[in-house]
Amino acid sequence: MTLPREVYQVLEDIVGPRNITEEPATLAAYAFNFGNELYPPYANRFSIRPTAVLLPGSTEEVQAIVKACNRYKIKYKPFTTGWGGIGGVRTENSIQLDLRRMDRILEIDEKNMFAIVEPYAMGGTLQAEAMKVGLNCNMPGAGAAVSPLANGTSQWGHGPPTLYFGHNSEVLLGIEWVMPNGEILKTGSLGSGVGWFCGEGPGPSLRALIRGDIGAQGNLGVFTKAALKLSPWPGPTQLKVDGKPPAYHVSLPENFRMYTLTFPNWRAFADAAHKIYDAEIGYICHRQWHKLGKDLAPAFFLMYSNPTKTLDDLEEMLKDPEIQRFTKEMEMPLPIVLAGQTPNDIEYQEKVLNQILAETGGHKVAKMSEPDIEEFTLLYFIRWGHKNLNFVYAGGYVGSWHQFGTPDFNVKYAQVAEKTLSKYQATGLLVQAGGDAMMGPIARMGGGGTFSLEQFTAYDPANKESVEAVVKYILESAELAKDHGFPSGFDEMAALRFKGAVGSQAYLENLPDNQRFQWQWKIKHMLDPNDAGEAGTYWMVKPKE
Amino acid sequence: MALEDYRGNMQRCTRCSYCKWVLWDHLKSWRFAKGCPSIGYNNFQSYSAGGRLAVALSLLDGMINYTDGVLDIVYQCQMCGACDVACKICRYDMEPLATLHELRARLVEDGQLLPMHMFIIDNLKKEDTMIAGKVKADRGKWAEGLNIKNLTKEKADVAFHAGCRLSYDEELSKVAKAAVTLFKNAGVDIGIMGKEENCCGGRAYEIGYKGEFSKYATNNIEAWTNAGVKTVVTSCSDGYWAFKRLYPEVGCKVEILHTVELIERLIQEGKLKFTKTIPKIVTYHDPCHLGRQGEPYIPWKGVEKRIYGQMLVHEPKKPRFNGANGIYDSPRTIINSIPGLELVEMERIRENAWCCGAGGGVIDTYPELCSWTVTERIEEARATGAEAIVTACPWCERNFIDAIEKSDIKMKVYDIMEVVQQAI
Amino acid sequence: MIDKKGDLAKIVGGQNVLNDPETLEAYSKDESFIRPRRPLFVVKPQNVDEVQGIVRWANQTGTPLVPVSSGPPHFCGDTIPTAAGAIVVDLSRMKRIIKIDPKNRMTMIEPGVTYSELQPELAKHGLRLTTPLLPRSNKSVVSSQLEREPTLIPKYQWTLLEPLRCLEVVWGDGSKLWTGEAGERPPSLEEKWKLDLVQLDPLGPGQVDYYRLVSAAQGSMGIVTWATLRCEIFPQLHKFFFIPAQKLDDLIECAYKLTRVRLGDEFFLVNGPNLAYVIGEGIDQIGALKESFPPWIIIMGIAGRSYLPKERVEFQEKDATAIVQQFGLKLIPAIPGARGEQVLETIIGPSKERHWKLSYKGGCQSIFFLTTLNRVPEFIRTMYSVAAKMNYSTTEIGLYVQPLQQGVCCHCEFNLPYNPDNEREVSKMRDLFTQSSEELLRQGAFFSRPYGIWADMEYSRAAQTTIMLRKVKGIFDPNNVLNPGKLCFG
Repeated sequence: MTLPREVYQVLEDIVGPRNITEEPATLAAYAFNFGNELYPPYANRFSIRPTAVLLPGSTEEVQAIVKACNRYKIKYKPFTTGWGGIGGVRTENSIQLDLRRMDRILEIDEKNMFAIVEPYAMGGTLQAEAMKVGLNCNMPGAGAAVSPLANGTSQWGHGPPTLYFGHNSEVLLGIEWVMPNGEILKTGSLGSGVGWFCGEGPGPSLRALIRGDIGAQGNLGVFTKAALKLSPWPGPTQLKVDGKPPAYHVSLPENFRMYTLTFPNWRAFADAAHKIYDAEIGYICHRQWHKLGKDLAPAFFLMYSNPTKTLDDLEEMLKDPEIQRFTKEMEMPLPIVLAGQTPNDIEYQEKVLNQILAETGGHKVAKMSEPDIEEFTLLYFIRWGHKNLNFVYAGGYVGSWHQFGTPDFNVKYAQVAEKTLSKYQATGLLVQAGGDAMMGPIARMGGGGTFSLEQFTAYDPANKESVEAVVKYILESAELAKDHGFPSGFDEMAALRFKGAVGSQAYLENLPDNQRFQWQWKIKHMLDPNDAGEAGTYWMVKPKE
Repeated sequence: MALEDYRGNMQRCTRCSYCKWVLWDHLKSWRFAKGCPSIGYNNFQSYSAGGRLAVALSLLDGMINYTDGVLDIVYQCQMCGACDVACKICRYDMEPLATLHELRARLVEDGQLLPMHMFIIDNLKKEDTMIAGKVKADRGKWAEGLNIKNLTKEKADVAFHAGCRLSYDEELSKVAKAAVTLFKNAGVDIGIMGKEENCCGGRAYEIGYKGEFSKYATNNIEAWTNAGVKTVVTSCSDGYWAFKRLYPEVGCKVEILHTVELIERLIQEGKLKFTKTIPKIVTYHDPCHLGRQGEPYIPWKGVEKRIYGQMLVHEPKKPRFNGANGIYDSPRTIINSIPGLELVEMERIRENAWCCGAGGGVIDTYPELCSWTVTERIEEARATGAEAIVTACPWCERNFIDAIEKSDIKMKVYDIMEVVQQAI
Repeated sequence: MIDKKGDLAKIVGGQNVLNDPETLEAYSKDESFIRPRRPLFVVKPQNVDEVQGIVRWANQTGTPLVPVSSGPPHFCGDTIPTAAGAIVVDLSRMKRIIKIDPKNRMTMIEPGVTYSELQPELAKHGLRLTTPLLPRSNKSVVSSQLEREPTLIPKYQWTLLEPLRCLEVVWGDGSKLWTGEAGERPPSLEEKWKLDLVQLDPLGPGQVDYYRLVSAAQGSMGIVTWATLRCEIFPQLHKFFFIPAQKLDDLIECAYKLTRVRLGDEFFLVNGPNLAYVIGEGIDQIGALKESFPPWIIIMGIAGRSYLPKERVEFQEKDATAIVQQFGLKLIPAIPGARGEQVLETIIGPSKERHWKLSYKGGCQSIFFLTTLNRVPEFIRTMYSVAAKMNYSTTEIGLYVQPLQQGVCCHCEFNLPYNPDNEREVSKMRDLFTQSSEELLRQGAFFSRPYGIWADMEYSRAAQTTIMLRKVKGIFDPNNVLNPGKLCFG
């Protein structure tokens, strides 16, 4: 389908001819994303093509586009960095708003510790600029290439430093929001014209409508600016990076420690998490390595941190008894960065960490503290710029399980998740990385208390059988989670999307308690009376009158 | 290899966007965060490596047809390889740059040609040069009076290949003169093809004309063999890359050196000493084809296989070209050896360097992209506070000189050969 | 003719429906200048079913409801009916401490639970709840947290709603929702607890943060019938220090530095008079303390909890001392008239029986708003200037500044004592309150909790916010039965 010429002209007049296209090749490029191959009716990584792509450059342009869409009944879907099919259009006859041109970091208020950013300001650039003034941002779990603003408003929000920094929805202060009806709402203190510093009020917080557990996912208009709380960075103003790709490293400042801890079992791991929360130590803490599977991940990271080695070396490396011993030692890992705001602080944190290890039977993995590996790991954890490793084995990854809860709860489903994945890996249709391929930050919210373990599933998207095996695995995981009474996780969301638009609607309507989906219907229709914004990933059920 | 052989790459791209930006670990500022000039200028997804992979897959699967838009997407790219380095930070199975080369070759095969490219290739066929409007007869004029061995008549161990840019660019030909004179005076048994020198064919390869490339490669290899040449040295990074990375595939066995490598070697052997002081603050620009694309060629014949279920690896181990072993240190060693010269680095250097804007045919076909790209680079140079940009490729130099002239920036541009010459 | 009393009695029991004149009079007014209005009845439900019953009945009969959880004295006017014929829903009978989970530092309580009731129970399990500054002993914890009263430990404030987490809410239409992770599978609390799911994650459920909709809503969106809160670990060691200063600017710079590196626990700034109001008792003692206290003081607590408590307090004291010295200031355990231990006794816990704000002169108006720390001096100048113009002695003005959300912003509060039995003083105070509020607003104060006259002031400059809030109210309280007339709701 193409846009009516009159509509195209209206949109072109808003953004300028250079910033709008209907070129089929470009539209195809926008339809392409990882994970699309898992969902019907798509047989490959292409989903629905937008009818046009626009690159707005300002709030005014965004507002004009949204108003035009309301007037002409054209659906639109905004995204920022667009990694993952969530951001793409989900309905026919939709236009895509690519917010790439709105990438500025408008201001960093060093004193009051917040940054005002446009939607495409990425974690990497925000961190680099914040470090210059002794600050740092909550790097999203998806890495330096994605947008903290989008992460906070629209998609998840936890990341490796969330323990110390807070979740990206917690750090949201004032937000400038082009609502689906085309009006601009400024939330918190911004709405009263007194600055960006407060995200709540006056009275009840309207940003309640944006976020929730998951985020708006591009269904509720466009967030064109936001202030994000930053946290102190007691490191150098610029990272001095050495080494050869991909094993870049940065030397450890005196007030930093980089450890990979390991624990004897899940119980000890969970206990350690509780103790870390209570002890209030830790700057970055994330069970990262295991995303590549407990059987392969330790060897993988030794390979990866050596620039002369490649994945072709992995099989041979795993025959080495020393690496096998190391793999066993790393079965229950937890990397952690300690950052002392003062020398006394780091000394204290180190002592406390040692006490926690003594109490839980954990220890620091010596190999991971060898200088080269330690420095490589530190840079990896600070900058979080290696997130595409999710796909390193064969180009396919999907997350499953990922229910949020206390450490003790996580441990309960972790064991079910491990068994389930192992079963599917055994078929050979998934990468046999080990049934425990669970990763996640130790804290879902600032200060911890809860977290989630995302079970990584590696498959080959170019191999239809591998794709089908993943779908089966996800569906079984969703059923198992329900049978155990676990809350819904990634797999449930995925399973919902597997059913397609009609199927997922039927599923939601038949849920015994679907009231919150009815509330969401009311909210969406209140915000978007002309139904211009896409709603493919905004779960709703029409209330029964 | 054909485009179909890269179908796996296209299907396994994850749209992570790393191909658009500098290497995350090295990122130092918002201002200089971009890695890919093409999407930096055009902004649409299709102008990134990942976007082009999606376009290629769409073409292969018949989901789209050829349009002017497709040509624009494919050719508005300097083929600088920044995307390739960035992608390979996390992937061992992806070859974005190679896929882009095949995509261009497929367009040419299918007759999807840019008019300007056709004009350049016609000129190449007639005059053996990529510089439009130049003639073969004038090629050797830069060397008049230098008294250098003529390899069409004599033999020599080392052939100096001036390249199209240095042969015809009157302002820059001093670089070739300086190089060949310096090497001769240092006792290197060196000769040139003079008027009979032909284009390396690298640019033709880069714009998809593999057939033309092969002709020139075969021709050059034969000429060197006849002249008993064991080593080819050049000051042109484009040529360097073609000789080092493409020629071995068509049977070339000679050693390939860039001027900087030979200078460094001469310094180590004590045959070159710097006696003069140059009190300047300079910054060094890593040419794409000397830096990240200047890695040693390692032949490989093997297969892709699966282990651990679905993991993709190679048998035997496949060499990896990710920019790790490009020529970055030689020019820096040289600069740091010259008394008085102070090197201040830009933010995007080595395998992370921002392209000068000239490559991939862009200098001839997309002047706006070329201009935008080079302006970005000279702004980055200006931000260092340096008085001059030093580099090691005449295409980069020409682009910098022209851009600086049009700007308010007051910086000089030197080929590394020039500062060496000033210091001896 | 509707028998309202009879209907309500069927829901909560006859003895829990009150309309004697004394009771109605007590609920009709508070310490603020909001126009008194008597409710029709006061009902006291015991559980969520009764609350739902009341709300559904209110929808059917078009009766306004005013939720109240704390005992008097109330200060802000939010518990006074604005609409005629309102029913006060007094939740103070709902006093269950439903759960204390020490491992997860969580407590689940009903709205009638006060700080005085909760803290000792938490202490038995090695926990405590971060409190605002001297809440009154009959202050409802849930209501205090719902209204975003600033708490004393900035580093724990990941958001301004902390430590509030999940809620059971009865919306204005009578439906019930569990917010946050409580709204997810499995359906019952018992099943959740069996799985070690403890209602700590406040986000959602789904794509809406419902708990934010009842936050600072003055009971106009929903009635909360239980809430979970994240607790602190009870300190094994707890020391308090003073950082006195002659110049406010020095102290503010110092405050920035200390909050930035998250040193210490309790952290707030007061002026001499406010500290005197907090610590002193009676007009004479307070008067004397005001004379002896320095003009500006930071009060900083340093706690050692479960891990190396002694070491923690020691190193933090050392580091804080070093930082404070950079500003030419000192970190000291006592100042003339007050010791650290005194602070620990008086401030960490509820107010004395005569509320500290009323102790000096019997009455007090508080003007509070949010801003950033660097702007506090200019607001002080404005407050003092208006006070001086209206012949209110500036030496009476108490200042309490509470850094919030780890230092991003702060609560700035002016406490203005006066004699409520003196008509002239009352009249002057009313004018002072109004005029200074207006000037402060114009200057950039953000009345994020817009009580009384602040509501109109704040919403009239936030047009789109007002429009949207009314639409949201239209969804959750379509018949406008919950505390109509508050905020921007008609």
